[in-house]
Amino acid sequence: MMTMKQLERKLQKAESRQALLYLFCNFVSLMLITAYSAMMFSPTVLLVLPEGGDSRKQMIAIFVLALFGCVVFTVYASGLFFRKKARQLGTLMALGASRRRLSPGLFRQVLILSALSAFLGILAGFPFVFLLWNLFRLLIVDSSQMSLVLDFRCLYLSAVFFVLVVALSCLNAQRYLMRTNIMDVVHEEHKNEPVKELGKWCGPLGILMILAGAVLGYLAPGIYMELFSAYPPVWINLLYAPVFAGLYLVMLHSVVHGWISHRKDPYQNLISRSMVKFQGKQTVNNLLVSTVLIAGSAFAIFYLPMLSVGSRMETENRPFDYFYHYRLDQDIPGEDEIKSLAGSYALSIKDFRSAPYLMLAMDGHAEVEDDGGAFHIEHRPLLQEAKFFSQSSFETLTGEALSLKEGSYLAISNADETMLYFLNSDCSVLTNMVTFETLPVSFGGYLHYDFLVDSVGYYVLNDKDYETIASGLTPDYMGCAAFFNMDGEDSYAFAEDFFYTLIDSFSPACEYPTYYDRVEKYAAEERGEVYWGDTDRMTKISFDAPDTSEFRSYWYYMPKIRILDKTDFARTFSVFLMMFLFISIICSLAAMIISYTRCMTIALNNRYVFDDLKRLGASPAFLLREIRSQARVVFRVPCLVGMTAMYLLYALLMLANDGKFTAGEAGGLITCLGILLLTGFLYFLVYRFTVKRMGAELEILVS
Amino acid sequence: MLCIKNLQKSYHTGNKSYPVLKGIDLTVANEEFVAVMGPSGSGKSTLLNCISCYIPFDEGIITLGGQELKGLKADDMAEIRNEKLGFVFQDFMLLDGLTIKENVLVPRIIQGKADAKARKDAEELLSLFGIASIGDKYPADVSGGEKQRAAVARSLINHPLLVLADEPTGNLDSKSSRAVIQAFEDARQNLGATVFMVTHDSFAASFCDRVILLKDGMIYDMLESDHKNQERPAAFQNRLLDAIRRMSSDETFSAEKPAEKSRKGGNAR
Repeated sequence: MMTMKQLERKLQKAESRQALLYLFCNFVSLMLITAYSAMMFSPTVLLVLPEGGDSRKQMIAIFVLALFGCVVFTVYASGLFFRKKARQLGTLMALGASRRRLSPGLFRQVLILSALSAFLGILAGFPFVFLLWNLFRLLIVDSSQMSLVLDFRCLYLSAVFFVLVVALSCLNAQRYLMRTNIMDVVHEEHKNEPVKELGKWCGPLGILMILAGAVLGYLAPGIYMELFSAYPPVWINLLYAPVFAGLYLVMLHSVVHGWISHRKDPYQNLISRSMVKFQGKQTVNNLLVSTVLIAGSAFAIFYLPMLSVGSRMETENRPFDYFYHYRLDQDIPGEDEIKSLAGSYALSIKDFRSAPYLMLAMDGHAEVEDDGGAFHIEHRPLLQEAKFFSQSSFETLTGEALSLKEGSYLAISNADETMLYFLNSDCSVLTNMVTFETLPVSFGGYLHYDFLVDSVGYYVLNDKDYETIASGLTPDYMGCAAFFNMDGEDSYAFAEDFFYTLIDSFSPACEYPTYYDRVEKYAAEERGEVYWGDTDRMTKISFDAPDTSEFRSYWYYMPKIRILDKTDFARTFSVFLMMFLFISIICSLAAMIISYTRCMTIALNNRYVFDDLKRLGASPAFLLREIRSQARVVFRVPCLVGMTAMYLLYALLMLANDGKFTAGEAGGLITCLGILLLTGFLYFLVYRFTVKRMGAELEILVS
Repeated sequence: MLCIKNLQKSYHTGNKSYPVLKGIDLTVANEEFVAVMGPSGSGKSTLLNCISCYIPFDEGIITLGGQELKGLKADDMAEIRNEKLGFVFQDFMLLDGLTIKENVLVPRIIQGKADAKARKDAEELLSLFGIASIGDKYPADVSGGEKQRAAVARSLINHPLLVLADEPTGNLDSKSSRAVIQAFEDARQNLGATVFMVTHDSFAASFCDRVILLKDGMIYDMLESDHKNQERPAAFQNRLLDAIRRMSSDETFSAEKPAEKSRKGGNAR
């Protein structure tokens, strides 16, 4: 005797393709989210991306986008599965199966499918991470820092997503069972989902809203701080919302009206346009999600060229091969030792020059945090530590002549003046940190010497002022900067030896990062506060790990060595670069799979239209053209909008930093454009593959 | 068997309401073969879907075998659909993953009584409708006419009080249509089935005992065949076509007229 259970099993077998699609969609979503969160929580990554830093914030922001995309994709997959299942459910209901009779089998099926797919997705997430990461190590770059360590707390996020997927499928099942109109359930599969049509104004308005949202979202925190003297709250990011609303309108316009005028030939692509339009709701949602993911992917991938091109150009343009500096209380190799070291590598050095500097306290205005996120501006006589050359030392060092009045100081900036935020132009008093003698000064302007631009600023004082304020300073507040070139070809082995020898010469007293400010520490302790640099918030560096990105990026006395910086760049920033490459791949993969799935479902849902067109004598070439036209909307619009919007936004960010593009930024942006073209080509290949699969699914054969 | 009084149903789109059935009164007697005809949008399918409670209706009373259908609990309504009603749909609605025989058995499986006797009943029904040889085939492997005859067999497996058929010949060629109508005839003669069929097809309707003409949600006319006095289906079809022509040309048709005609047509059968 056949039971209801056996009947359901047979029916489930018949719908195995839909079930597989559903499994696949959930599997992919869970795998990508698990992989992303595994990397996001990985100590390997967290060690490199500083807490509270922009890169970590961006990693989290893109994760939120990816999560949003995967949630929408899962909702879509679940909806798709139930639309297909509705006919079967409706038939059984029509033949007298009650909800009570249907619900155990239905819930069993959706629970098994959703839980299994989600579980498998989570499981697959880890091998996926290992595979991709080790492929990077094998094919692109490897370093000791890249050794992958995972923190399985990332599973909390996957678990939440798991529950979401299962709950969503159960809710959908319940919704179908509770439907009172059985005929609606039966015809659900072929029900159109036309999108609400808006006029042709919606596209241009969408573009305006994207631009307005981007500008508003970017400027709002600054305006808020200006107006309220308080740090902007998290909700201020909601001001970016017009970007998403604008994107929706652009997608809507693309689906309903298209961007090409059909006035000359109103019947061109009529069929495909109407097909896409009448299932517009889902298509627009899919386009929106793909766009957001592609934009996220572009944002992540841009990191690589922006960081590396700028750095490469800076390295190439240095006037000297070597620059190092040190405190005078340290026993550091001088010219003779370096010559001797070079000699052991059969090399010789030239152009050696060195000059002393002082480490003085500058006064200035500080943002002091109050309770409740507010702040006030306060003048502090001991604001920060800075390095001061005398005018004659600077001239000796750089070979550039200066004219500097007594009582004024110059700040050393790069030629583009894009790093002025590291410099204090507000100082009126300099303080000797040993004798606490002061010297009144005024800002005399910027002078340009890129090689001496650092996150702890260099300044120049008139020789007389220099002598006055230097009086009584101990060697720990005095330093020396030295430049030299190689006479002929440089050698990596020598550079590496020099670097390690230099580190070995420093005492632990100098084992601190650039953010560690002795003046700030003194002032904080004077006020009875604990200096933040002595807390865990400060980046940690160690002489035992001189090859880590933290050490090379943040050590206070990090030398500039052209050959080392050039050769080791990828290795030093490997985790950083590969994490963003990883994010980009995850987002791109998700976007490609979503677009592919959408195209395939458009084809399957409209199979009867294609069958009718065949009967009406449509040639395979005509049918393929219609397919292509539909797939084009799904692939091309998100690619164009996502990539263009992110490119413009990135350029805007670069511009907003300092009001101009530096040579490095311009070079980076050009490289980004090349990467976008390459990524676009990859999308094109997936589009071609999708069209092929759609054709095969609809049995359209071109001879 | 079936009694409908003042049946009203509207569809709603946004704030707009579109009345589809505007007070239908009709009865169907035991073992009667009744057809409902009318132009598209006249409310035929809605009437059928209301009788089967597939869609909820606004006003009126429907009783089947003396039991009122409105207000029944979902489980009770499902039981009535399973045991007292049989359904035949225009697009067959056979389940793809099941063989023809298993499809016929579905109402019994839902009931939990797909035993040896049920299998024998299914085989007998398949034989009665001349499709015994396709019992083990899947719907995708048989013709439209065979599918529909299988659907008729499925509708009868639980010996329902009433078989509701929605355009059963709508997707079929004339030969298959004839076979399906023959299946209904056989069901009536051999199994005592009562059939209520919605159709556009005057040929199919000409085999019925009575044809109700529906227009704009109201009964326009009702014609009875005289098969007992040897009226041939072709002659009844001619009468039907005349009535349809009248209905089509009746531009002055108003709300009062059909009620009058309905009374003439023998509404209170």
